[in-house]
Amino acid sequence: MKLPKSLLGAILLGVSIQVTQSSCSKDDRDLNPQPLTEQPGTENEPGSYHPDNCPACGMG
Amino acid sequence: MQRVMEHQGKTIHSIRTGIACNLDHDILAAALPLLEEELVDAVEWSFDALYQHYSIPAWFEELLHVYSKAGRLIGHGVFFSLFSGRWLPEQEAWLKDLKRLSSVYRFSHITEHFGFMTGRDFHHGAPLNIPFTENTLALGRDRLARIADACGVPVGLENLAFAYSAEEVRRHGEFLDRLVSPVNGFIILDLHNLYCQLHNFSADFNQLIRSYPLERVREIHISGGSWEDGLPDGSKKVRRDTHDDGVPDEVFSLLEQTIPLCPNLCFVIMEQLGTALKSSASRERFRADFRKMRAIIESFASKLRLTNHFTPLIPAQLGAPVEDEQLWRQQLTLSEILETAASFQEASNRLKNSSLQNSGWQIETWAPDMIETARKIAVKWKNPVT
Repeated sequence: MKLPKSLLGAILLGVSIQVTQSSCSKDDRDLNPQPLTEQPGTENEPGSYHPDNCPACGMG
Repeated sequence: MQRVMEHQGKTIHSIRTGIACNLDHDILAAALPLLEEELVDAVEWSFDALYQHYSIPAWFEELLHVYSKAGRLIGHGVFFSLFSGRWLPEQEAWLKDLKRLSSVYRFSHITEHFGFMTGRDFHHGAPLNIPFTENTLALGRDRLARIADACGVPVGLENLAFAYSAEEVRRHGEFLDRLVSPVNGFIILDLHNLYCQLHNFSADFNQLIRSYPLERVREIHISGGSWEDGLPDGSKKVRRDTHDDGVPDEVFSLLEQTIPLCPNLCFVIMEQLGTALKSSASRERFRADFRKMRAIIESFASKLRLTNHFTPLIPAQLGAPVEDEQLWRQQLTLSEILETAASFQEASNRLKNSSLQNSGWQIETWAPDMIETARKIAVKWKNPVT
């Protein structure tokens, strides 16, 4: 499927600056890397970084 | 929408090839060249992995929206714990979140895993099998109806890699069929999971594949896994669905054999964990596997005819959730034993002296190497970084 060039560029940038994390790591140490830009957080939403680091069924 | 066209009174369609894609640096880095080459038809997103309440980067959100608008975004749940004997607040919250996400994204369908989660919460547990009884059937049907009600799109279940006994392997397909039929649900046939069972129980592919409701297969998964010692003496290797290696040739062969048997197949998805995609070589292998998968799919293009779109049949009234307190207590007992036993022998002894003895769990038939594997899985999920 064809994706917009702007989106591919944004993914490349996102991957390059490594604000994302590896899957399958539930260690809290991995949940708080330093994002390049941080949005204001609330008590329940501590920042802009989202790890999405659940195993997604690959631990069977 | 699925690319469909009417042809001589039948619906012909093309199968979409996709990747399991979460917000993961290594997966995205490995997949980016495939995205740039316009080879990724669909994306499967484990939407319930958003458990830390952080926000999603705008570009990842846009990626989801682009596939969503094209009708090519698949939601793949991990943590609902379909067969927990007790109705849990986490399940209520899971459904609420699914309903919210379904108003944000247009999922082509929603799927979950067979089994129940061990552990103190939904993020510290392992997916394990359950007894195939009328009680568990009623429980699973109730939960699937609730998922269908929350998302309003076709719902499906994935076959489990893990089994305690050859009898479970033999009955899994039929039980899945009975589970999903009332909601007109479908099956994700995970061929690596099947590959695990073929090896772990010396099963015959032609016999096993025919035990599945193949007309209900809407999605196929392929992935890699690992070999581990079944028992400490190393007498038998157990195949596990760990998603941490490339796709074996045997699984590609299973894919070629299975596709023509599944008339309602719409998606074939390749899964691999980001933790296994750190090196350039592993990322190259990932892309090579994807291209190989796509070439196989393309060889079957336009040869399949849909007979079921799996439009969900949702009950007008859901009523109170079905619960089974005895099953729940047994699940807690099993989880506790598997997570805390220091060895296979200890786990085996404690099982023999538990409430699971002479019950629907049929622990007397469990293969020793699979008890040990279950123990390792439970420990791994409980302490994933150790």
